[in-house]
Amino acid sequence: MRNDNKKNVIVGIFVFIGIAILVAGVLTLGGQQKKFVKSIRLKAVFDDVAGLQPGNNVWFSGVKIGNVRRINFYGDSQVEIEMNIESKTKEFIRKDSKATISSDGLIGNKIIVLYGGTSAAGVIEDGDRLMTEMPLDTEQMMVTLQENNQNLVSITNDLKTLTGKIAAGEGIIGSTLMDTTIAESFKTMLLNFESSSRTANQMLVELNRFSKELNKEGNLIHDLTTDDALYVGLKETMASFQSTAGQLERMTESLNAITEKLQQSDNTAGLLLNDEETAATMKSLVNKLDESATSLNAGLDALEYTWPFRRGFKRKAKAEEAASPK
Amino acid sequence: MGQMPATKGPVISKKIDRFFIGLASAFLFVKRFFQEVWKPPYEFKEIARQCYEIGYRSLPLISLTGFIVGVVFTNQSRPSLSEFGATSWLPALISIAIIRAMGPLVTALIAAGKVGSSIGAEIGSMKVTEQIDAMEVSAINPFKYLVVTRTLAATFMIPVLVMYTDFVALMGAFLNVNANEMVSLSTFFVQVFEAVSFLDIFSSILKSLVFGFTIGIVGCYKGYNSSKGTEGVGKAANAAVVMAMFLIFIEELLALQIVNAIRAL
Repeated sequence: MRNDNKKNVIVGIFVFIGIAILVAGVLTLGGQQKKFVKSIRLKAVFDDVAGLQPGNNVWFSGVKIGNVRRINFYGDSQVEIEMNIESKTKEFIRKDSKATISSDGLIGNKIIVLYGGTSAAGVIEDGDRLMTEMPLDTEQMMVTLQENNQNLVSITNDLKTLTGKIAAGEGIIGSTLMDTTIAESFKTMLLNFESSSRTANQMLVELNRFSKELNKEGNLIHDLTTDDALYVGLKETMASFQSTAGQLERMTESLNAITEKLQQSDNTAGLLLNDEETAATMKSLVNKLDESATSLNAGLDALEYTWPFRRGFKRKAKAEEAASPK
Repeated sequence: MGQMPATKGPVISKKIDRFFIGLASAFLFVKRFFQEVWKPPYEFKEIARQCYEIGYRSLPLISLTGFIVGVVFTNQSRPSLSEFGATSWLPALISIAIIRAMGPLVTALIAAGKVGSSIGAEIGSMKVTEQIDAMEVSAINPFKYLVVTRTLAATFMIPVLVMYTDFVALMGAFLNVNANEMVSLSTFFVQVFEAVSFLDIFSSILKSLVFGFTIGIVGCYKGYNSSKGTEGVGKAANAAVVMAMFLIFIEELLALQIVNAIRAL
């Protein structure tokens, strides 16, 4: 009898522990899947839920806050999702928050992600319908990728053609890379460049030295650039030059006026210079004067031998004779 | 001996007849169980004793098996997952495998081997030694005392054993995952329970009830209908194990279909 009781107790303990494991499992599962948590219900309408199932998780800022309760068709071809969200998280979700469908990892389960929302919009309430945003469709991504692939193929084809031409030594780049004479020329050019730069360098050194010399005190350029008194003197000289130039200009104008007058026949000098008749008259006058002078000379020669002037001439000859050296 | 049957027809016919007779007899046996189970006296003491024998006495063997299954399954799954860098999914994979399928199946198969054969042999030997007939004479309902108690004990003990197996197997898996991936116990169990649902746990329990019932009823049926002689006892024990295992696999297949159908709802 005692043995039977012992067995009964063992069976009781055995069953109790078995049931305890089950209950612990159920509670853990329930706790983890938020089954026993006070929750509110939210709705969202999507065009495509991409394989979302009841029981999938709802995330907000990367934290699991609930799960999908029900999926129903809505309108023509849309899908309405009902979600259970933990009540204690509702104060963080705003009425203008958005819902989108994402994935838990690269190949993981589908999840609903709530995001965004402004504090001005107020806190969500039970039964609210959230705005939705369609997730990136894998098919669309594939289409874009395919386009990229095609572009890549055409780019690589072009590249292949280009490299082929370069390898064959065609074009500027090809001949540059493949032709040895161009390489030599290039080398020579570089050497020339080097030599030119060396020369330029030397020139710069000389220029530097020259400018230093110019900058020394006592040098004209230095004084010109640094001496204030010289500058004032130069300025005055320039002013004198300017006034002289003005006077010259005025003189030139007067000369111009004189010249103009000389070219006209209404004055004595212009008449003398320009009138032919006056010139002829003058010529005849000069001729007459010449003749008169000749006559006068003959008269004067006769006078030398005439009394009472003869004695005077003799005295003059004697005086000249006495003055001349022996 | 040495005499050829006149035609093949009657031989095949006899085999088919035997099959259907066996099926009908099994059906009647199950029917009788469901008739007797509700009627008093309920033989609680015998049920408790059988629970001890079937449940508690099987615990060490089943725990060891569960632990090994957990460790081996984890180790074998790792290379496949690590091929695409998903070893962090090991706990989820193991929990689904153990809770949904391996736990109930391994427990049921081990129990079928240990419990089914012992029930078959025990009742078979009682049949052979005419103890069952003696019970009937002494106004004890042998069916109620032997079959109903053992079948009920098996039906209720297998789910409890499955709970133990699941737990021990998960612990074995944890030890392996912890040693290789340095995952903490809490993280491991968070990932384990993230992958399973209530449906998995309840389907696992319901499945275990069916497996337990199958092990008990098949063992009793084979023992109750064993042929005379010591050879019959051995045959009964063997047939109990083979039939129980076969039926367990069939039931597992059906349960999978039903659970998947419920999951899709």
